[in-house]
Amino acid sequence: MYLSGLVKKEFGRIKSDKRTLVLIFAIPIILIVIFGLTSGGGPTAYFNAAIITRDKELCNCYNSTDGYDDIFIEVVDDDCEAWGLFDDFESEDDDDYDKIFDKCVELLRDEIIDVFIILPDDFSERITNDNDTEIIYYIDGSDKQAKDAVEVALQEPIGKFRLEIGKTVNFTTMTPYLEYEVPFWESQVLNYAFATIASMLILGLLMNLTSLSIVSEKPLPRMLLTPTAKDEIILSKLIANTIIMILQVTEIFIMSAIFGLYCLGSLFELYLVLLMTGFCGICMGLFISAISKTEQVANQLYMMFFIIVIMFSGAFINIESLPLAMQIIINSLPLSHSIPLIVSITMKGLPIDYAHLASLALISTTFAVMAYIAFRFKKVEV
Amino acid sequence: MSTGNLKDIVVNVENLEVTFDEKKIIRNVSFNVRRGEIIGFFGISGAGKTTIIRVLTCQISKKNWTGNVNVTNLSPGSKKNYAKILSNIGYVPQLEELNLYYDLTPLKNVEVFASCYGMKKKEAKNIAMELFSILDIPEDTWNKPLKKMSGGEKKRVSMAIGLIHKPDILFLDEPTTGVDAAKRYDVLSYLKKLNRRLGTTMFLITHDMEAALIVDRAAILRDGKLLEFDSNSNLITSLPNNGLVARFSIENLNEEKINIIKRFPNAPNIKTIRVGNETLEVLMDDFEKNLSKLIQFMMENGLKINAMSRDVAAFRRYFQLRIQEEEEKERLIRIQQDAIEEVEI
Repeated sequence: MYLSGLVKKEFGRIKSDKRTLVLIFAIPIILIVIFGLTSGGGPTAYFNAAIITRDKELCNCYNSTDGYDDIFIEVVDDDCEAWGLFDDFESEDDDDYDKIFDKCVELLRDEIIDVFIILPDDFSERITNDNDTEIIYYIDGSDKQAKDAVEVALQEPIGKFRLEIGKTVNFTTMTPYLEYEVPFWESQVLNYAFATIASMLILGLLMNLTSLSIVSEKPLPRMLLTPTAKDEIILSKLIANTIIMILQVTEIFIMSAIFGLYCLGSLFELYLVLLMTGFCGICMGLFISAISKTEQVANQLYMMFFIIVIMFSGAFINIESLPLAMQIIINSLPLSHSIPLIVSITMKGLPIDYAHLASLALISTTFAVMAYIAFRFKKVEV
Repeated sequence: MSTGNLKDIVVNVENLEVTFDEKKIIRNVSFNVRRGEIIGFFGISGAGKTTIIRVLTCQISKKNWTGNVNVTNLSPGSKKNYAKILSNIGYVPQLEELNLYYDLTPLKNVEVFASCYGMKKKEAKNIAMELFSILDIPEDTWNKPLKKMSGGEKKRVSMAIGLIHKPDILFLDEPTTGVDAAKRYDVLSYLKKLNRRLGTTMFLITHDMEAALIVDRAAILRDGKLLEFDSNSNLITSLPNNGLVARFSIENLNEEKINIIKRFPNAPNIKTIRVGNETLEVLMDDFEKNLSKLIQFMMENGLKINAMSRDVAAFRRYFQLRIQEEEEKERLIRIQQDAIEEVEI
């Protein structure tokens, strides 16, 4: 009975606050344009590789039992700082090669490896004869920065291999096909940045919107001197902000489509992930607002939470290279789920990963419950 | 203390004691309030005025207080009664910003708070329009954001919000604080007007002694004790000679000179209140008979009187005297206690 009035009040407050409206609806447009045109994904400093060797020749001048391909594999495995070897596969024939190739594509898609390298069947022969040879590599094209970085990073195993064999043979590196690359006719920069920027935008703006919703409402203690219960007040905030969030996410969704959003997977699933990310932001913001005594504290907590969430989103730090305890903490933050979800839907065309979605739902619920408990026990006096 | 007709009693407090962290904030307070009365709670900061009101408005958990308290025949000691009591009371906080959404219009504010009481929008609007008219809130401001209204208008909208659900009792926390001297009387007269027109029982918590002008009964509190709870006129007539005062302007008035006056032998019950740098008010028994003798006594003791007038004490003077008296009592008790301790040692 009281809830609808409270929800209307929340809308009235938001509507009358022009700055908040600008923050909610204008900033995403500006940022989509700016970030979409200027940035890419996070840097990748370490590459986990699989190597397929088709080389049949043995090296008769360096080691009687190994081919040059084995030496190259050893170099990648043991000597390179920026490289790690996940596995190496020797293909006997074309059928065998096809199977191994498919397996590697699967490993790439599942992000178990970052790149797989193919050594041609005349690899050892060409090196033995001091002829130039080629290295073919396949990379997950959804990571724009990694795509650029791997070309540079590949010089490390090549250089170390040259030293190891004492030859100055030239290598031609070839990337015949990049898995999950944004097609050239689509907006490259926007799409490579979309997962990071959209999820950060939605989460950050909604956290900001709700982080002041309790602490800045001065008549709130007075409202508690009416038959209205605390549960109704926090629920009304959740409902009103969720409606605002749906509008904001829809706006971002439409704006991104106008600016050339490339999505291989289901648009509905992408929309769902964006909504879940927004809902996480609302719940986190409400929690911040419920535990803060003043607006200043709420602002500081918001900044702290947001920086942590961004830092450990996986966009800047490779999560898998961190200790297990840190990985657990990171996995309890929303962006480490929403970014991979968006990437896999938009660029890989994969169906929604329910484990990630459930994690987002769990994080939201946890923050919502904590906000509710904090507000229940918050001392509010007129 | 008058108990009144039991049916008319809207607030009944018996032996209320409030304790926080083993510190007693309210000590054995009892009073009752009849429907339609305006009650003033007067006292200096820390006297316990707000604490009593917080008990009555369900803001203090039962674990912190003892005694028998009923508000509109419901006990705030039971959480089950909270919603009903809160439906029957209204509250106007000291600062308007705690009662109003400045970004919204007065009518929108009304809508928000009315919805908290489960009222329909139309019903709330009709009541609001009636209240706004009583409170002389200009019609052209009803649909403008509150932040554009003057301080006095905001104050009146705040009062209207407190009354929007037609409560039996309205609690007003420092209604005249922050209002300039001339407007203070306006606020008080609006409250009286509302009380007369709507018959709402009102509780005024205030430092402002001028509020006594509109109250039916005044409660004086000090250190959690209810010193007095009676009508303004009864309190003043309880003073020596029905509150008749002599106001002296004395050159270079100081404590020493006041002590000389206090030693006036013909009126042992003499009371003095310093009301200005060189102004002193004196109350005593057999005022007419003793006044000329007092003047002579003062002159004999070297006090130079520049001017003298007579008046009837206002509530402010009663309040000062009553507090002084209590302080004096406490001082004597402390001296006695110290003496006993010394003897024991």
